[in-house]
Amino acid sequence: MATPGTSVLDRFLSSIAELVRQRDGAKLQDFLQLEPPLSDIYQQMVVELRQRYPAESPQKDAELHRRCESLVPRSKGSSSWIAFPTFMKLYFTFLRDVNVENLLETYNLLKGLLNQCVLALGDSQMGVVVLPTVLYLCKVLAKLAMGLDRRPDLIAHLLRLEGRSDQDESVEKVTLVEKSANVVREAFIKCLTDRSGTPGVQGKPEGRRVGIYLMANLCLKLLFQCGKLRNAEQMFASISAQSPPLTYFPASQRVTYLYYLGRYLFSNSLFYPAQIALQAAYDQCHRQALQQKRVVLTYLIPCNIIMGRFPSGLLLQRPEAQGLAEKFVPICQLIARGDYIAFREHLAFDSPANEWFARKGILLALRNRCEILVWRSLTRKVFIHGGFLGDPAAQRSPPPYLYLKKLETAVRWLQSRHVQSSLGAISFIPPSRALDAKAGENTAGSQIIYKAPDPDFADAHDPDTNGTDRIVSSKYDDYLAPDAYFDALGQLQENPAHTLTDGDPSADYSQHELDPYADRAALNSEDEAQGKPTPMMREIESILASLLTQGLMRGYLTHGNPRFAIPGARMRGAIPTGFPNVWQTIYARESEDDNVPGWVKPPKPAAAPVGAGGGGRVVNLSGARPVGAQ
Amino acid sequence: MSNTTQDKPELSQQPQQQKPPVLEEDDEFEDFPVEDWDQEEAEKASGAANDNAHLWEESWDDDDAAEDFSKQLQEELKKVEASS
Repeated sequence: MATPGTSVLDRFLSSIAELVRQRDGAKLQDFLQLEPPLSDIYQQMVVELRQRYPAESPQKDAELHRRCESLVPRSKGSSSWIAFPTFMKLYFTFLRDVNVENLLETYNLLKGLLNQCVLALGDSQMGVVVLPTVLYLCKVLAKLAMGLDRRPDLIAHLLRLEGRSDQDESVEKVTLVEKSANVVREAFIKCLTDRSGTPGVQGKPEGRRVGIYLMANLCLKLLFQCGKLRNAEQMFASISAQSPPLTYFPASQRVTYLYYLGRYLFSNSLFYPAQIALQAAYDQCHRQALQQKRVVLTYLIPCNIIMGRFPSGLLLQRPEAQGLAEKFVPICQLIARGDYIAFREHLAFDSPANEWFARKGILLALRNRCEILVWRSLTRKVFIHGGFLGDPAAQRSPPPYLYLKKLETAVRWLQSRHVQSSLGAISFIPPSRALDAKAGENTAGSQIIYKAPDPDFADAHDPDTNGTDRIVSSKYDDYLAPDAYFDALGQLQENPAHTLTDGDPSADYSQHELDPYADRAALNSEDEAQGKPTPMMREIESILASLLTQGLMRGYLTHGNPRFAIPGARMRGAIPTGFPNVWQTIYARESEDDNVPGWVKPPKPAAAPVGAGGGGRVVNLSGARPVGAQ
Repeated sequence: MSNTTQDKPELSQQPQQQKPPVLEEDDEFEDFPVEDWDQEEAEKASGAANDNAHLWEESWDDDDAAEDFSKQLQEELKKVEASS
């Protein structure tokens, strides 16, 4: 063994020992460099490691481990910090063995190193010393995993060698990003469960708890990257239960956390709390942090649009909103216009606008949640131009109302309008895309939106066949009229003519309630439909019923001679009464509960005096005897 | 990615972050360059009035009857009414 103090390794070891004694976590992290390019002094140490503790020698390996054990102060009575020497030894072997040509191996070595460091973090006395190192290693691992996620070609050949190619789709693939998230989550739990000081909502960020949101944010970043948001649920629940209030943590951690929390709530369709979290992230963000403010706005704006609040010109003119207007303003305009076909086409799967929204993960929310607002606008316009707005001069007059027939007229007009524009040569809409416009011609299903017919049922609505022929020619004919069948006595009967084996529906079943051809009655009912509301009217009624249920329209529907009526409109007028402000309606309903799940706030001063005069009184019961005690 | 960085992609992230402050497609929420800042430096400074109200439009109903869509709708409704 070389004389202590002469080699870089020896000096390094004694420095580490000193830093551990001083509990200087920040400096310890600074010493434990591992990302290339390493400075000369580290490269010198790597050379020494390879000379003195070569990888091939188990004895030398054990010797290195013994040297690392001496880094931890041994105090009698308390258990020593055994996880730390093992970690240090892994650190040295990482430096000695790592081969960055093989990025998969590098990843695995690094993950092993981080795992061991997280174990060292778990120590109740000393753990906090490695907190900065854990964070550093988490970041390096995350960076590597996310880099490889973007460039899977760099390790594809290595995965193939291991037999873990993409071919096997029977098992769910756990990506490197998700694996990294799992390790970071372990570190997060170690931080959250530090029992020193005052834990929980009453506590302050001290000890390992200072790392709660650093780890949580990194874990969330990885989970968002690999699309495993569901795994974040438990994390938010643990934070709600055990974390000190968010406000005690530094601004960068608060803003980052509120951003991820808001996005999580958004993707769970909890738009109101999502809006609170994202607005807080925006408000607390550093004024000059344009990139972060912009990313927050990318979610805050759709969140507000869905709840009926559009971004103002003032907001869209801000530097961080650059380029966002052209994405969101068309959607707002389409909502206000009430052209549901144009709205649906704007966000359709094959629309040019779609790609950006899909990549941001806001396409489906916008498409599914905003269409109802488009219908509100359309109904409102039809009411203004074609409804009975009430007669304020009359002493007694019926309430304002709208014949839904007029809305049906408007829908058919919209459809014909779009068919024409899709046929026009100068149209921007390729002919194949005006599908909703042709929905009025659907023989089955919706008259308002187009859905590809289900092939299993396509035959049932072919107008050229009817009655028995239709049953026989359906795709179930191999069941209803097979080549051969077993009769009641169990004898095999040939059926070359392919007659219905259960008998003729009209001849044999007209007297019976139980009819094996259950669909038959419905199939022949078209002629009876004369005089009844059209299928489109039924759909319009259900759309309006949905608007009424959500409070986005106020009044009632009559079913026979379908109408939408707006009672109680004398004071405020028909339009404001029947079509209340969307945001105010949703806000009034949602703001009853301003609690944002996952956002820990300081406990309300419950013991503080309530009211000016009386004041609260604290009754000290410490001396009271239990009930029933003698 | 250029040839020089091809063999170590995990390290090439660093120089990329120093790109010019052009706000383009950046899906990722970047790390803040500073750990903490005062309320005064925040987007919504503590002393500032509640100006969030100006950021959002609550009333966006389109009541412009002269606008093309409304005008055509109006004509269509009249036409149908006259014919029935």
